[in-house]
Amino acid sequence: MTTTVGIRSKDGVVLAADKRASKGFFVGSKVVQKLFALDRATAVAIAGQMSDAEYLVNLAKAERRLLSLRRGYPLSVRESARLIANIVYSGMKAYNPFFVELVVAGVDRDGAHVYTSDMSGAVTSEDFMSSGSGSPIAYGVLEQGYRADIDLDGARRLAESAVRAAMERDPGSGNGVDILVLPNGHAPTGVN
Amino acid sequence: MAADVGRIPFFYNTEGRLVQVDYAMQAVSRGSTTVGLKTKDFAVLASQVKPTRPLLEPAEKIYVVDDHVGATGSGYIGDVSTLVDDLRLAAQRHRLVYDNPIDMATLSRQLSEQLHALTMYAVRPLGASIILAGIDELGVQLLQVDPSGTAFRGAGFAIGQHADEALEAIGRGYRPDLTLDDALRLATETIESSNGGKGQIEFGVVQADTRRFERRPLENGG
Repeated sequence: MTTTVGIRSKDGVVLAADKRASKGFFVGSKVVQKLFALDRATAVAIAGQMSDAEYLVNLAKAERRLLSLRRGYPLSVRESARLIANIVYSGMKAYNPFFVELVVAGVDRDGAHVYTSDMSGAVTSEDFMSSGSGSPIAYGVLEQGYRADIDLDGARRLAESAVRAAMERDPGSGNGVDILVLPNGHAPTGVN
Repeated sequence: MAADVGRIPFFYNTEGRLVQVDYAMQAVSRGSTTVGLKTKDFAVLASQVKPTRPLLEPAEKIYVVDDHVGATGSGYIGDVSTLVDDLRLAAQRHRLVYDNPIDMATLSRQLSEQLHALTMYAVRPLGASIILAGIDELGVQLLQVDPSGTAFRGAGFAIGQHADEALEAIGRGYRPDLTLDDALRLATETIESSNGGKGQIEFGVVQADTRRFERRPLENGG
């Protein structure tokens, strides 16, 4: 269920998600948070099993904190995505998979990034990306609307309309849109 | 027979002392002078960074454990940093399990248990004392934990070289209504007067209003 969207622009990244949690054919919650900030410059959009995804996000937060305390500077977006993917991968190999599809997005010293990690632990870097049951519909909007030179505000509007389109036709998505905008230049440099 | 037992270094000697633990405390008292101060509004950690050789960056002496807790130590730096690593791990584990920042009692208890375990077996007790400064539901807290595993809670601590003189100086200058600037000055003067003003001092501060521990590193790295 769910629709999440991540878009990379030249001056930042945007994440968007609907707010519905499904229990089979029942709407379990209408106010679910599917966007999680790992810090001021990195965030994750979750789709799939809520419990798996939330656990994974908390574990990633703890591991990121420990590493950045040890070495004195925070993780890049790629390092964060790889960290999460490695946890998911070891779950899959141990026959205890995490049923998740995550979008890891953020800004770091090298600019804006959108990565996606599925339940096999594979990581790919994308310009834009959608996951969840509404993603085929969201992709229709994204493929039409995305331009390589899109600005942050354009990306924000495109992300919102992609999720709204999915909410119109996908019964697993609905009840409003959450949007998270991470502009360039907000990457923390220290650990304090 | 009794005399023989006393000669096994990791058991009690005939005076009832654990000599290995005494030696560990002695190792701490050779470390750099390190103090902690606390009022109800803040806690300050300050540690002397020993004068280094040219071309050598001074070592880190104040450690961030989590958002709301900091630590410093004296003794063998390798032992101190191992303990700090474990404190950081305990803090993050607590967040994972309870979705809440760790409290000072749980954190210091974990440290005590770890140090105490090394007094029970034929191993080397760690030569490090740790001062923890942090904030939790019970307010700002300052704790010292020694190689024996003993934990002290209080408003002023000093460990390392000249700790007795330093503690005396803190006792003379301490008032419960100290401002943060006063406390930083008192810590500086204490460390400088106890060892002849050699080296630099690194600070860490936790405040009740921000509920955050902040390290104040030396200007030239560290």
